[in-house]
Amino acid sequence: MTLPVEALFLVDLMSTFAPYLLVTLSLNLEYGYTGVPDFGKTLAVAGGAFLVGYLPGRLLMQLLGVGLGLSYVEHNAEIVTKINEFLRVNVPLSMAVLALTLALAMVVGAALGFLVSHPAIRLREISLAMVFLAAGEALVVIGHNYPELAGGTLGIGVPDVFAWAGEYRFPMVTAFMIAVVVAVFIYLYLLTKSPLGRLLRAVRDDENAALALGKDVTKVRIKVITLASAITALGGALYAIYTGSVIAAAYQKVSWTFWPWVMVILGGTANNVGVVLGTFVFVTVRKLIIFYKDAFAPYVPFDVVWLDMLLLGVALILILLYRPEGLIPEKPIKTVAVRRVTAALKLREPGIKG
Amino acid sequence: MFIEPIYKDALVFSSLLSLLSLGLTLTFLTTRIPNFAHGCFATVGIYVALTVHKVFKADIYYGLPLAFLLTGFLALLQYLVVLKPLSRRRASVITLMVATIALELILLAVLNIYADYLARTFKISSRYFQLRGADFQLAGERGLLFVAPSLVAITTLLLHLALTKTKFGVAMRATIENPDLASALGINADLVYKVSWFLAGGLAGLAGGLLPLWFIGNPDTGDYMLVSIFAASVTGGLFSIYGGLFGGFFVGFVEVLGTGKLALSVGTWIIPYRPIIPLLAMVITLLIAPRGITGIMVSRVRFKWIRVWRWTG
Repeated sequence: MTLPVEALFLVDLMSTFAPYLLVTLSLNLEYGYTGVPDFGKTLAVAGGAFLVGYLPGRLLMQLLGVGLGLSYVEHNAEIVTKINEFLRVNVPLSMAVLALTLALAMVVGAALGFLVSHPAIRLREISLAMVFLAAGEALVVIGHNYPELAGGTLGIGVPDVFAWAGEYRFPMVTAFMIAVVVAVFIYLYLLTKSPLGRLLRAVRDDENAALALGKDVTKVRIKVITLASAITALGGALYAIYTGSVIAAAYQKVSWTFWPWVMVILGGTANNVGVVLGTFVFVTVRKLIIFYKDAFAPYVPFDVVWLDMLLLGVALILILLYRPEGLIPEKPIKTVAVRRVTAALKLREPGIKG
Repeated sequence: MFIEPIYKDALVFSSLLSLLSLGLTLTFLTTRIPNFAHGCFATVGIYVALTVHKVFKADIYYGLPLAFLLTGFLALLQYLVVLKPLSRRRASVITLMVATIALELILLAVLNIYADYLARTFKISSRYFQLRGADFQLAGERGLLFVAPSLVAITTLLLHLALTKTKFGVAMRATIENPDLASALGINADLVYKVSWFLAGGLAGLAGGLLPLWFIGNPDTGDYMLVSIFAASVTGGLFSIYGGLFGGFFVGFVEVLGTGKLALSVGTWIIPYRPIIPLLAMVITLLIAPRGITGIMVSRVRFKWIRVWRWTG
């Protein structure tokens, strides 16, 4: 039995949507709530993906005694096929490897974020953005040229921890990714609603006021960058597990830094629901263009991919000019005290709206 | 006379890079916008050169004025239609930066479409091309080896004369120092901004128009160079007009010679890591001297003056 075309399209859509959502939600935490312009999302995404390319294959090689003495990179396809035979029948081992990989990807992401945040944190706005951008680019250049890490220019195959799902492999991975995203969303939703969320907005809006209230602004920024990078790396790792391969050339600043920025600004900064909507709209429009690409192709004398890029650029400028607050704007926080005061005001004067 | 080819590469690359980073610094200084679309301006120049040479069969140097004007007006248009309305609404630097990223995507798409159009309509190779054969020969060397550095020298001289000897140049410096005060004195700050965007675009177009004579041109060449351009501007100092020129030479030489010399001493495996060199130069500069090389001395002088002023006042 094979899945219908619509279901395949939906799986494809959700499998792109889910990892991007992890990147955009974490970017929203950094830029939307705390005001840190992280233009190096590629760094953590590639960090997570490179870990998936580097570690699980080598680990399982030793564990299962497959292809011992062979180079993992040179005999990649052969070794991965053999490992997959073991993984297909051993579900607990697959799940254990998955859990370990994701946990380590988050650690790698957090470490990268922590490392970059230290020199970067002394700088402001443009310089800060530049350091982030530089760090992301540098990691991708290394991944591209150092084959041991992620197969260099040829890329590297990854052991399939979802091989046991058979022909439902792709829907199964997608469902797992969505479960992870939902968990992260709930966590970030509660985090940004808590007093900590208000501290983040204070750091963004008035650093001096936050300092005067005894908050260590630098430490807050470093923690936020570290946390956000861990979440971003999770996205990169999940995407690599889904596609089953890692290639450094796929981690360009346009697709993993600029696009997430477009998604966040489209949806509305400092609003998690808005960011979900923005990411969904962006990914859907792109997928639809790619889906109907062949229908366009005879009418235009160029590759349709460029039309897609052109539309994205124009859409972003129109949003910035006419709806800078995004699809769903930031909302004031309704703390208990605020709610009580507005309720009291409503009781006294029915004309005032809370 | 024999010069190692690597020094020629470094000289030409640095000259073109400094023209590009001069423009980037100029628009940042005047309007406080870090322009991510700047690399694509150079690519526009590259395709003007290709069109002039292959479609109109003319000498590539005749295309330069056209490249200057076209990219100049393109930059002006970008400023007037998108960036000026945004900055009038007091958009943050980051918002403006995102807007220029959007413009970069648009330009990149248009350039790719144009490359496809050239390839399909005129049957010319419009990707990964170079036009080395189109250059003239002088003293056994390719013409660009003399043209590129002279162009930088002439630009520097004209810029210096304009900034120090003409009324508009003085107005420009005043606007950079303090836009509000300059406007209060009746200086047309908006005109200064327009001129700086036009000049920045034009210079990028010139550099791009010359680029395929020495290096390989592709729709993403300018975008690929963007990192080097930013690195050059930041290293030279984003807060001084001459920072861009100086940084271009510094980063260009470090990038080309550094890679070449390291390849000789540690091995050729280092060559693909070339893009990391300008990034390192930029990050180190930002950490040690956030205002760049040209900012070091200026900030010290200012610091002294503040101390003097504190003692006396």
